[in-house]
Amino acid sequence: MKKFTASIVIGALSILSAQDFNAQAEKDRKALINYFEKKFADRKNANMYFPYSTKEELDKNFKWGIKWEEFRLGSYAFNKNGREQYEEINEMPPYEDNVDAGKELYENTKFKNGKSFKDCFPNPAIAGDYPKFIKGKGVVTLSVAINNCLKDNGEKPWKMTKGKMADLEAYFAATSRDKGKKVNIVIDSKEAAEAYERGKKEYYSQRGYLKLSCATCHVQGAGQRVRNEYMSPLLGQTTHFPVYRLKWEGLGTLERRLKGCNKDQGETPHKPGSKWMNELAYFMAYMSNGMPVDGPDIRK
Amino acid sequence: MAQILESKGANMKKIILTLSIVGFGLANASLLDEAAKLDVKKVCDVKANGLEKVIAVAKKFNPEAVKLGVEFKRLGIKNREYIKYTDEAIKSKKKETVIKYKDKGKEKTKKFATDYAAWRACTFAVRALQQVKEAEKTWRLAVPGDGFK
Repeated sequence: MKKFTASIVIGALSILSAQDFNAQAEKDRKALINYFEKKFADRKNANMYFPYSTKEELDKNFKWGIKWEEFRLGSYAFNKNGREQYEEINEMPPYEDNVDAGKELYENTKFKNGKSFKDCFPNPAIAGDYPKFIKGKGVVTLSVAINNCLKDNGEKPWKMTKGKMADLEAYFAATSRDKGKKVNIVIDSKEAAEAYERGKKEYYSQRGYLKLSCATCHVQGAGQRVRNEYMSPLLGQTTHFPVYRLKWEGLGTLERRLKGCNKDQGETPHKPGSKWMNELAYFMAYMSNGMPVDGPDIRK
Repeated sequence: MAQILESKGANMKKIILTLSIVGFGLANASLLDEAAKLDVKKVCDVKANGLEKVIAVAKKFNPEAVKLGVEFKRLGIKNREYIKYTDEAIKSKKKETVIKYKDKGKEKTKKFATDYAAWRACTFAVRALQQVKEAEKTWRLAVPGDGFK
């Protein structure tokens, strides 16, 4: 009886503490949802949030009343013209060959030691579970996990931004989407919460010679226009990777996109797989918790 | 006896390691603090200070920016590259700095007036560190539900 009571107490304590570790992250996530839903609620407050947009633009090209899950479409959630083009391109998605190539890599790659990706990732529907915090390793993104699998089996790691890495991730994402998986980022320890906080701080810190933070464009700036493109919201920003970008004329991982953003800020980009980039991705992915995995997808 | 010596050795190692960490931390903090106090317009003014002094400021602070992962990059050129080639141009008394760099795997070159390149290298090195200090105070102001209202 004593043992039974003790186990219940320990179990309850561990549940309580696990909840505590993500308390701040949950608070941040809910505040972010609230901010974006309010920002795109209706045309009435538009002038406050989009002071540089023309009246015509706000009247004709903006969709209002957007709810939480829709933000995973990025700027296509509110940009009517962009949404039309996006839907047209998606009728014949340019990333289908990449998904096939990824499936081939998953099913038929044999490592020199006889093992395969299936030994590392028995279930390929895992795109929504990464980045993960692993004790002793820190934050591990899906790209890092794939490279760890290769290295642990005596193989050379892949480039983390495109090519085989993006193909395999496309297969993982497509499988996750088909199985109805949702983003499920876990913060279950003090160390994980600290990694999340560091990622958050970097996201909101102004950097580079342009003195821009990620948030300048993707929180406060989301919905505003840079030349002819609307900037996408942080909410839902990681659900659809890897993405086929028209600018790249190919598929790229989240690391590729983050590297590009970092460069656009006027800073020497951090390396894919670095602690900085992994923790930034951890924070970003947590903000999309609960949203459906919908990668691979298309972006301009 | 051997055990005592071994334990003394281990303690010594610990002390050295702690001192190195503290020393590194202090150097880190002092360079950041020092940069934060500078008036960029004044210290990077080539006319007032001369090229040598201006590039010396860049050489002093940029390695810290690299270490902290906040080094500036413009037109595909990292600040360490601005510094390297500007320094060479100053030493060989050339009025034009030719910077060689790699962009997407391709070798490229760009030319700048040496005084302009020195000013840029200096302001980039100092501002990168100043922004780290500024961000400590400002980052929360952008967080919805926290400092951003």
